[in-house]
Amino acid sequence: MAYKTLLSGQVFTFDSVKEVLAKANEEKSGDILAGVAAQSGIQRIAAKEVLAGMTLEELRQNPVVPYEEDEVTRLNQDSINESIYSAIKGWTVSDLREWLLGESAGEEEIRRISRALTAEMVAAVAKLMTNLDLVYAASKIRVPAHCNTTIGLRGTLSTRLQPNHTTDNVEGITASLFEGLSYGCGDALIGLNPSGESVASMTEILKRFDEIKNQFEIPTQICVLGHITTQLEAVKRGAPADMIFQSIAGSQKGNEAFGFTTDHIREAMELLRRRGTGTGPNVMYFETGQGSELSSDAHYGADQVTMEARCYAYAREFKPFMVNTVVGFIGPEYLYDSRQVIRAGLEDHFMGKLSGIPMGCDCCYTNHMMAEQNDIENLAMLLGAAGANYILGVPTSDDVMLNYQTNAYHDAAAIREVLGLRPIREFDLWLEKMGITENGRLTSRAGDPTIFLSRKGRG
Amino acid sequence: MAEEKAILSVGIDIGTSTTQLVFSRLSMENTSGYFTVPRISIVDKEVVYRSAIHTTPLRTRTLIDGEAVRRIVEAEFEKAGFTPADTGTGAVIITGESARKENAALVLRELSGFAGEFVVSTAGPDLEAIIAGKGSGAWQYSQEMSCTAVNLDIGGGTTNLVMFDCGRVAAKGCLDIGGRLVRLEKDLTVTYLSPAAGLVAQSLGLPLREGERTSLEELRGLCRGMAQVLEECLGLWEAGPLLERLQTPGSSLFRPPKAIQAVFFSGGVADSVYQPPQGGDPIPYGDIGALLGEAIREGRLCSAFRLQRGKETIRATVVGAGSYATSLSGSTIDCPGELFPLKNVPVLKLSPEEQEAAFRGEAAPMAERIRWFLGQSDSPRLVIAMEGEKNPSYPRVKALASALAAAAEEALPPGEPLLAVVREDMAKALGQAARPLLASGRAAAFLDGIQAEQNDYMDMGRPLMDGLVVPVVVKTLIFG
Amino acid sequence: MLDQRTIDAMAEEIIRRMEGERRPSGTPAPSQRPHREDGAGAAPPPGGQPPSRGTPPPGELEDIASREQRAIPTLREPEDYDALIRMKGKTSARIGVGRCGPRLLTKTLLTLRADHAMARDAVFTDVDPAFLERNGLFSVQTRCADKNTHITRPDLGRQLSDEGVKTILERCKKGVQAQIIVSDGLSSKAIEANAQDALPAIQEGLRQRGISVGTPFFVRFGRVAVEDQVAELLDAEVVCILIGERPGLATAESMSAYLCYRARVGQPEARRTVVSNIHSGGISAVEAGAYIAELIQKILAAKASGVELQK
Repeated sequence: MAYKTLLSGQVFTFDSVKEVLAKANEEKSGDILAGVAAQSGIQRIAAKEVLAGMTLEELRQNPVVPYEEDEVTRLNQDSINESIYSAIKGWTVSDLREWLLGESAGEEEIRRISRALTAEMVAAVAKLMTNLDLVYAASKIRVPAHCNTTIGLRGTLSTRLQPNHTTDNVEGITASLFEGLSYGCGDALIGLNPSGESVASMTEILKRFDEIKNQFEIPTQICVLGHITTQLEAVKRGAPADMIFQSIAGSQKGNEAFGFTTDHIREAMELLRRRGTGTGPNVMYFETGQGSELSSDAHYGADQVTMEARCYAYAREFKPFMVNTVVGFIGPEYLYDSRQVIRAGLEDHFMGKLSGIPMGCDCCYTNHMMAEQNDIENLAMLLGAAGANYILGVPTSDDVMLNYQTNAYHDAAAIREVLGLRPIREFDLWLEKMGITENGRLTSRAGDPTIFLSRKGRG
Repeated sequence: MAEEKAILSVGIDIGTSTTQLVFSRLSMENTSGYFTVPRISIVDKEVVYRSAIHTTPLRTRTLIDGEAVRRIVEAEFEKAGFTPADTGTGAVIITGESARKENAALVLRELSGFAGEFVVSTAGPDLEAIIAGKGSGAWQYSQEMSCTAVNLDIGGGTTNLVMFDCGRVAAKGCLDIGGRLVRLEKDLTVTYLSPAAGLVAQSLGLPLREGERTSLEELRGLCRGMAQVLEECLGLWEAGPLLERLQTPGSSLFRPPKAIQAVFFSGGVADSVYQPPQGGDPIPYGDIGALLGEAIREGRLCSAFRLQRGKETIRATVVGAGSYATSLSGSTIDCPGELFPLKNVPVLKLSPEEQEAAFRGEAAPMAERIRWFLGQSDSPRLVIAMEGEKNPSYPRVKALASALAAAAEEALPPGEPLLAVVREDMAKALGQAARPLLASGRAAAFLDGIQAEQNDYMDMGRPLMDGLVVPVVVKTLIFG
Repeated sequence: MLDQRTIDAMAEEIIRRMEGERRPSGTPAPSQRPHREDGAGAAPPPGGQPPSRGTPPPGELEDIASREQRAIPTLREPEDYDALIRMKGKTSARIGVGRCGPRLLTKTLLTLRADHAMARDAVFTDVDPAFLERNGLFSVQTRCADKNTHITRPDLGRQLSDEGVKTILERCKKGVQAQIIVSDGLSSKAIEANAQDALPAIQEGLRQRGISVGTPFFVRFGRVAVEDQVAELLDAEVVCILIGERPGLATAESMSAYLCYRARVGQPEARRTVVSNIHSGGISAVEAGAYIAELIQKILAAKASGVELQK
């Protein structure tokens, strides 16, 4: 059905809910590349106006990928709590926005409503939010999860320590890992992106992580982010893993392009239940990022924010320990500059939290983007204020294997201090025990990776 | 998923007192993935069979009974369920007092058909020390922990010492200190007193003589004296006169360049360093091994450094020989399969100046070196080794290739292959540029990723992993 | 209140101290650094004053972005200095950098910014026309009119301009076994650093193997898949594009080769065989060239590339 509105003397017509959603998006180069973006500033606002007046019911009835064709849509639609839904289906998107920002929406209330929201509703309300709206609304919502420790509690900001190495050399990885630990990083996860995809090398790295975790009694989680099938094979052959990772997309076709199916995820959860080294119950780690569906032509003509929200709808079915939007990794053809990256980071975090998943963000950029380290520090600060579960940490912000930049090992400590946040409680105590922090601040021995060489178990 | 392949490696250690054999499975893998040039490396070394520890059969006090050794090896192959054809690589190492030219020749003759086509005979006290240190786990420890670690392989006749710094050999050496330097009857009558033990006894004023009875006190005193020499060697005391006199002939002087952090013990005496022998018999094997262990345990070596226990003690040398003697060439090489295996090829190493001349395309100096080298050596062939260059330009590679080819044509006997090994990754380009310049009928191989020095010898096996890599043993020979 | 003389004297003293702290020349080599016998590293300087600022002697400039400078840890007073040096030797990651509070030291920060600037320049500058001329490469362009379009419209970077098509048809041989092309991709610097050594090594290797090679040329504002259109236009059996990779901070000069048998526009990416990481710190350009020549022979023999070749 067509949607019409009059704005500033012009009549705007949109052919479908999908088109309204797309044109209501803040400007993103990926939507322009896909040919779905608004053609003028005023058309964008007209679309937002139409969207504001759209009911949640209309959005539910018009998923951007048809129910019959797509597993993600089916999982999302079938998991909606119908009784909560029937209470709010008459709300417009504007109603939802104002309710989320209003006094009556507390954490419990939002978590409850969240169970009745489809991805399209979540995306729609994000499109009506300003950046501060996104920060404010997200800050109301906490989504904790538990593997070995509990992530996402109010007052915490965690980090995934990412000790990547160009050739997966275990000693080099260990050196980088020690550096990160000495800055208080790694409470969310010690997680490596391997440069190769061999079971043997993945196993070797996992064994090293496990060894270090046990030797120094570090309360955290470990994972090596290979393809899910390689991880399954490694764990079956006895590799220690707390979690299994997979990149996910907002459509079944996109997931197929990533080379996995839902069965792989279910198999991973079952395998970890029996053979994993993590306590659980949350044992999956997913990564997403606006634009990935378009890059595999699996976006069905929808915009990248809506497709991203669908990733979260898919993710929540598997109760992950963490979901990570790798926000600026994909390049300027999807997120052109720092403004778009910062916007996307805030949207993704908000949408993730509203979807009910333990959301964090890899605040990052590539060298062919119109962005730089200052922008990424801005985003990390904003996300710290918004209550993000975690950000990343790599040595001096430079990931030598993935060839992009994210937050430095240093950054989390600074943000924690500025915003009065702490790492996960158990990890915080461990840092104090190791003499790395005192009352949440780095001590004089922090930042020295060699303190781990003479310590317990090594001496 | 990356491909994985394994070769079976046999290690045979014929020492002063014991002869052992192990089979190791060396797993190779292309660790670089499909998106770049292959990089084959040995990713896992698993000892799949350990033989019993045999007493080394001797004809005389120093001459090995070759036939008896062959019978031991034969029987162990059978017990392990392998045939010589199963082994892809390996090393026979003759250690300690057995490491003599005539023994090496004998063993090589007896075992040549045996342990596969690619098994070599190699020894020398320094190399033994390194091999034992790798087999014990000290090498891996120093690499993993980014520290210095010393391995003391204390056998019947000698103590081989090696110091690793972050996986690199920092010092090596050998002392005539061992558990069987004094042998005894049950009633403590000395049946054998080695010259080295005699020296120590003399310096301590202990009246030890062959054929005479001694006492536990005297023996303990002797062993404390030996332990102190080891302590001197590791820098815990000022070096006394004995230290130099006990240095094994042909070995390097062990001099640690920096502070030692961890120590490992291996060899036959190691177990009694780590704990007292069960049953309380101070001389359970009719020698001073257990007492030497006790003296070391109670001395400063075990308290001044981080004492570590490796994966292997008495089998460290044989495991080292089986698992660590072989390395792989780089994975972009130029090498026809039919040329290999080649064994015991002497190495001619180009100095930096000679290499630079070759990079300028000058063939004459290299041809001169080759002629001289072949005149000195009784081998008809040689390997030309050089460091190479990290990122050479195309014209420089062409120039080097033309110098190599011209020198080979000028100085190598007809029919002898041009064998060139480079440390830096450039062999494929070098081979491509050089091959068309060689006379027809001249075979050639260009390998990289190999560090070989003047006076080394090289064994090169058949190419593995679809011809991508060549297994190589770089060694020093005690004969030839 | 301090009087002027006291203040002046204090200022003088501070300046004198700072001068005294300056390193004699260059920077201390790791081995020159004193360490205690127990290997626990140097004793901390008294008072924890700021580190010396190395001022090289006149005429000798210190490059903070150089390999040598990077190898020196900026972390002050590690527990085990030697171990830190070794750890740094095992990874190209920027570790042992130290901190001021929870932030980067100035030198670390500036090195990082310098590397980022280099990487940005690699993307946003063009390959020098003189370079193309020296290497005998004529140039055609994709449908991207400028850098900005090139960066944001990969679809246009996969298509040759009409004029480009015409030029190629005029100047290139059709029906060859191997067609090599060179393209800036996301790093012009990668092409300038590697193409002149890789290209002749490939061509020579192909000639030795008796494989017919087309005229190589340069594609400006290109993406990998532009090779598919070239292969179709020229009916080339194997096409190989040497292209600049998205620069990282470690190197802005990494080149890759993408090879494809009977490439067709719109084909799946899995049909390509990739040789990546060609630069001075990875596989050298000449060695990669020799490897690529052999790979082309293998692809021709198997009549397949990409995942099909691996079977």
